[in-house]
Amino acid sequence: MTALPGFRSGSAASRSVLTRLRRNWPAYLFLLPTLLLVGYFAYYPAYIAVTRAFTDWDGLNTPNFTGLDNFRRAVTDPVMGEATKNMGIWVVLGTLLALVMPLIVAELVFHLRGRRRQYAYRTLFVIPIVIPSLVLLLVWGDFYRSDGLLNQLLGAVGLGGLRHEWLGDPHTALYALIFLGFPYIDAFNFLLLYAGLQAIPEDVFDAAKIDGATGLRRVLRVDLPLLRPQLGLIAMLAIIGNVQYYISPLVLTSGGPGYATTVPALLMFQTARRDGDFGYAMAIAFLLMLLVVVLTLLSRLISRGNR
Amino acid sequence: MKRRTALTTALLLSSSALISMASAAPGSWRGTIYMAAADYTPNFPGVKNQLKVFQQIADEYEKKYPGIKIKFYEEPIPDTNTMIRVKAAAGELFDIYWAQSYNLNSTLPRGVATDLAPYFKQPNPYIPGNKAWQDVMDKAQLAESRTPQGQIYTLSGDKVVYTIFYNKNLFKKAGITKVPTTWPELIAASKKLKAAGIYPMHAVPAYPWWSRHFLSDLYSKDYAKLTGYDGLPGQSPLDEAVAIHKGILTPKDDRFMSWWPVFKQFTDTWPKDYLAADPGKNYDAFQDFVGQKEAMLYEGSYKVREMLDAGVKFPVGAFNFPRLSKAESRYATGVNTANAYAGTGGFQYAMSTPQSNKTMREKGKTEAVIDWMRFFGTPRNLQRLTAEQGTYAPTWPGTTVKLALSNFDAGAITAQLKLPERSIGAATATANLGWVDMQRIFGLYLSGNITLDQAKAQAQTVLDRAAQDYARKNKIDLSKY
Repeated sequence: MTALPGFRSGSAASRSVLTRLRRNWPAYLFLLPTLLLVGYFAYYPAYIAVTRAFTDWDGLNTPNFTGLDNFRRAVTDPVMGEATKNMGIWVVLGTLLALVMPLIVAELVFHLRGRRRQYAYRTLFVIPIVIPSLVLLLVWGDFYRSDGLLNQLLGAVGLGGLRHEWLGDPHTALYALIFLGFPYIDAFNFLLLYAGLQAIPEDVFDAAKIDGATGLRRVLRVDLPLLRPQLGLIAMLAIIGNVQYYISPLVLTSGGPGYATTVPALLMFQTARRDGDFGYAMAIAFLLMLLVVVLTLLSRLISRGNR
Repeated sequence: MKRRTALTTALLLSSSALISMASAAPGSWRGTIYMAAADYTPNFPGVKNQLKVFQQIADEYEKKYPGIKIKFYEEPIPDTNTMIRVKAAAGELFDIYWAQSYNLNSTLPRGVATDLAPYFKQPNPYIPGNKAWQDVMDKAQLAESRTPQGQIYTLSGDKVVYTIFYNKNLFKKAGITKVPTTWPELIAASKKLKAAGIYPMHAVPAYPWWSRHFLSDLYSKDYAKLTGYDGLPGQSPLDEAVAIHKGILTPKDDRFMSWWPVFKQFTDTWPKDYLAADPGKNYDAFQDFVGQKEAMLYEGSYKVREMLDAGVKFPVGAFNFPRLSKAESRYATGVNTANAYAGTGGFQYAMSTPQSNKTMREKGKTEAVIDWMRFFGTPRNLQRLTAEQGTYAPTWPGTTVKLALSNFDAGAITAQLKLPERSIGAATATANLGWVDMQRIFGLYLSGNITLDQAKAQAQTVLDRAAQDYARKNKIDLSKY
């Protein structure tokens, strides 16, 4: 039998794998414990979530297979519908916040004259990373109270008419949670974009300058196209992060008022932890997992299309 | 032949004597019994006035039965239900632990606690002359903690006394000279406080707590009917589900939500921050009371100890839920419902199962643990424990309430405790009812985000679903009642 050019026969391929295994066995041996741990702590829970999503399970006793019941419940539950809508708003606005503010600050810091100044500002924007996020949430919870800092500031600048129960009103609660954390400079995103700007060769900037691309025009025509990989990565991580996020609604509003700040991830958490309905919670987790996979694949397709 | 008969009789008699002795004694098992005693934990680290009584009771037991040790878990447990789920899944739950019977009957998995009902029917050898342990218990409390199938997962013996605490200084500052005893007086006092720049209350208005006062008044004439569907005293979740199914405890009955606008008069004087929030956020209310931002606090007697621990220096008084009159609601019956809400308290202990606690598989351990429960579960020991702890009222007949309220003007609380406990509510039939779905609707209405009619429609949906869930999960035909 003659092998086609560019193709190897099955037995040749398996021989090659075996040869590689034999030749590199120490490396594979060292990888094995890590792979086993990843398998047990990452893949096994995912497997459990997928399989238990089709059951009525209380977290302790043997699960009862219920077929698609949990999924039927999820797609017909009006609370899940409201939560999904909230998640959509959160993903869009959250992604914009994750991109725009760090980009503006990265541009400003990058174009400061003097390395020392750049270093000082960079440090200033990164230092808040050491503050535990829960502390920030609780502080912001106090800011939003009717007698909190935000309303006091509004009163002080003559905008008392805008004073509001920010977290108590279903019309503002979701936005109050999304816009929590002014000035929204995520240190990781900021450093990623800053590093991206640093990686652009000086020649490109010089050429742009000669061509008259300065200021905002340079940002739009030169920086943004060359920062596309970083922006794509941040957008992807922001979308995934916001789909899975539920900490601030959990801590500050418990998903209320009504269901105004309930998101599917919070619903999953409450369904499991508070109601003990683990089967339904796993079904919500499975749907979220599918959504994240779809979004990831979509981003891969878009980034391939850009090449 | 006669000798053989006599020998056989002697053998039978001695063996039955041995059997009866074995049922009274902890048997052959020897080891350590681990107990998470919650609010009655002795020697709890960081507590100023440490409790000793449970340790004394344990010492007495250990002295009586050398070879058995009682060890109390002395770390705080911030989230009991999660602790139970996690430890049970690992098969490492405590032998005895505090848990709400409501959770054990609904949201916690079956198999985390042993059904104690058969043991309650047996004599407790540590109570002289006792024929069945349940004879010394509170009958309504027993009935309320039963599952529809008759299981009882907790040994319950005390309750929380709920009242309206108030800051005497802030009342004085607002020019209030007399504590409110009627609803109009309460509203007038709240308006005066608000005008003086003081929050009357700043809290999440908990539906299951407040509704009990109103519903117990408005439905007082139907008390026997609404608590009698299961044939047992007190309102059980089954009674509640049947009443919902029959359209009595639902907006179909005009009484059911007629009190919402009345209550809204009160919450309209509060800041709106927490009106539509989760009751879990009520810790802010306590902080505001201690910080003298708010003048009133509707809470349980356990808060007295917390106030002392928080170093409250201002004079605190308490007054009871005001009586309603026809002026507030044409359905009002004028009954004093101050004692209508009383949650089960710290003496509420469950025993793990061989499934949730591997050590319970040891031969004879279950009997030993039950024996220890029988030992501390006597009216005498309940009296000793509650008297020392001072925040819970014992419920078993013959026990007397001794709350540690020396620094407080506690006349209202002690008067309230003398009232007969007649309580009607719609909050416990299923996991989502009361604290979750009704609370959300209640909050949205009180904060002015939905109208009463919208609230009624939503409440009807929630209640219908709750009754259906209850019937489905417990395999009960509600139409039979």
